[in-house]
Amino acid sequence: MATDSRRSPSTASSPLRRGRIPAGFVVLAALGVALVALPLLGLVLRTPWSRIAEVLTSDTALAALRLSLIVATTAAAISFVLGFPLAWVLVRSTFPGKTFVRAVVILPLVMPPVVAGVGLLAAFGRRSGLIGSWLYDWFGIQLTFTTAAAILAATFVSFPLAVLALEAGLRGLDERLEDAAATLGASRWYVLRRVTVPLMGPQIAAALVLSWARALGEFGATITFAGNLQGRTQTLPLAVFEQLQTDTDAAFAVSMLLILLAFAVILALRGRFLR
Amino acid sequence: MKKAPILAMSAALFLAACSDSNDNGGTTGTTGASGGSGGAEAELTVSAASSLSEAFGEIGDAFEAANPGTTVAFNFGPSDGLAGQINEGAPVDVFASASPTWMDSVQDDGPGVTDRSDFAQNRLAIIVPADNPAGIENLNDLTEDGVQLVLAAEGVPAGDYAREIFQNAGISKAALANVVSNEEDVKAVITKVMSGDADAGIGYVTDVTPDVADQITLIPIPDEVNVIATYPIAVVNGSQEADLAQGFVEYVLGDGQQTLAEYGFLPPP
Repeated sequence: MATDSRRSPSTASSPLRRGRIPAGFVVLAALGVALVALPLLGLVLRTPWSRIAEVLTSDTALAALRLSLIVATTAAAISFVLGFPLAWVLVRSTFPGKTFVRAVVILPLVMPPVVAGVGLLAAFGRRSGLIGSWLYDWFGIQLTFTTAAAILAATFVSFPLAVLALEAGLRGLDERLEDAAATLGASRWYVLRRVTVPLMGPQIAAALVLSWARALGEFGATITFAGNLQGRTQTLPLAVFEQLQTDTDAAFAVSMLLILLAFAVILALRGRFLR
Repeated sequence: MKKAPILAMSAALFLAACSDSNDNGGTTGTTGASGGSGGAEAELTVSAASSLSEAFGEIGDAFEAANPGTTVAFNFGPSDGLAGQINEGAPVDVFASASPTWMDSVQDDGPGVTDRSDFAQNRLAIIVPADNPAGIENLNDLTEDGVQLVLAAEGVPAGDYAREIFQNAGISKAALANVVSNEEDVKAVITKVMSGDADAGIGYVTDVTPDVADQITLIPIPDEVNVIATYPIAVVNGSQEADLAQGFVEYVLGDGQQTLAEYGFLPPP
């Protein structure tokens, strides 16, 4: 993800690159495209386009959309606020156990979301949660079944993406520019604001967009840990899941909305993924 | 209409993948895919209401023992979701629903069914964590301020029955105001109660199995307002293993009754 776009002309026109493409590759590549494209095509065909406005303006869909935007945006913001200092520490310092810390932080990326939900319960559940039981007994605060729980679940799964993108940004940074600013008398805070952050613009944008998109799609951890209630914890994916059982048309319409949002994310990142 | 096959196909592939993973390794797992059942090896796919998980698990083992070479692959879930899968073309041989509504759906809007009969009944109950943090003793207590109540979602039989009970008791508004989560199926309701995060849930009497009896407590609902759930079972039309499927249905109606009774189910009406 962190590779730059500089490409030497010689590579682009090298005989190996331009040579004949093995027929087997073409077939497998086409299968790969079909694998992704067929479900999308199915969704487009099954979406009740004539009813879409009506379905998407239903109470359920609107409440879920509103909640999803709140949850994903808050999760992306938290991921950035905590992820930036963490990426900084991971890139610019050495300490014992750093590799382990990094592995732990990235783990949610490859963890089954439902396991994340179970873990969140073990940490923040009201009765047996490591912190949750203490929060409840001392302050009467219960996280489960609240919007805060949905945000926590979304943050848990999107945080590693933010950290990875920010790490890549910090690694690619020319530290001499920061040093130069410091030599000229800039305070550390000034250097951070006026040199480091602007230089990392694209990676910061990527961190925000990627973690926002991941948070938007969160399902397993949310339904396990936060529950499913319209307006409180029922985000768009949960609404799709519930409506699939009762109102299939609505499920397809909301799915289409999520796909369009995801597509918008890819477009926003086109400089990185689509060249 | 021409759109349907795509979805049906993907549902079929998905289910096939699921049931393959249910194989316990002994068989080669190639039955079904080729269409012909041939020989003694046969796999039966049974979609059953999640409230039947424990009882049917045992019945399935017994059926396999009585029919060597047969593998029963269960697909447990909310009856409405299971009916939806079947109506989309999922290759299911037997359907056991926690409410006649969803059997009707498969019968009328789906592939249709044969050999339909009611095989059990079940009562609803209030389920609370063993330590009963909210001090729930009866239905009215569910309306107290701040009670964290968990139900199955609307459309899920246990969810619809719970709402019917609230209506019968005249507490719909206050009780539904306390609902903090609408769960996918009744087992998810029990899980939330078991974790102690919910104060109460509405499930079936049969959900308090010996395995979880130390974690949850059952509070009976008076007969005047309670709902009796009737469970129909049938062979799904188009089954590749129709004879075996019919055999399974007969087994549930025969020898299986003993097992169902052990798990707290009532005999069919």
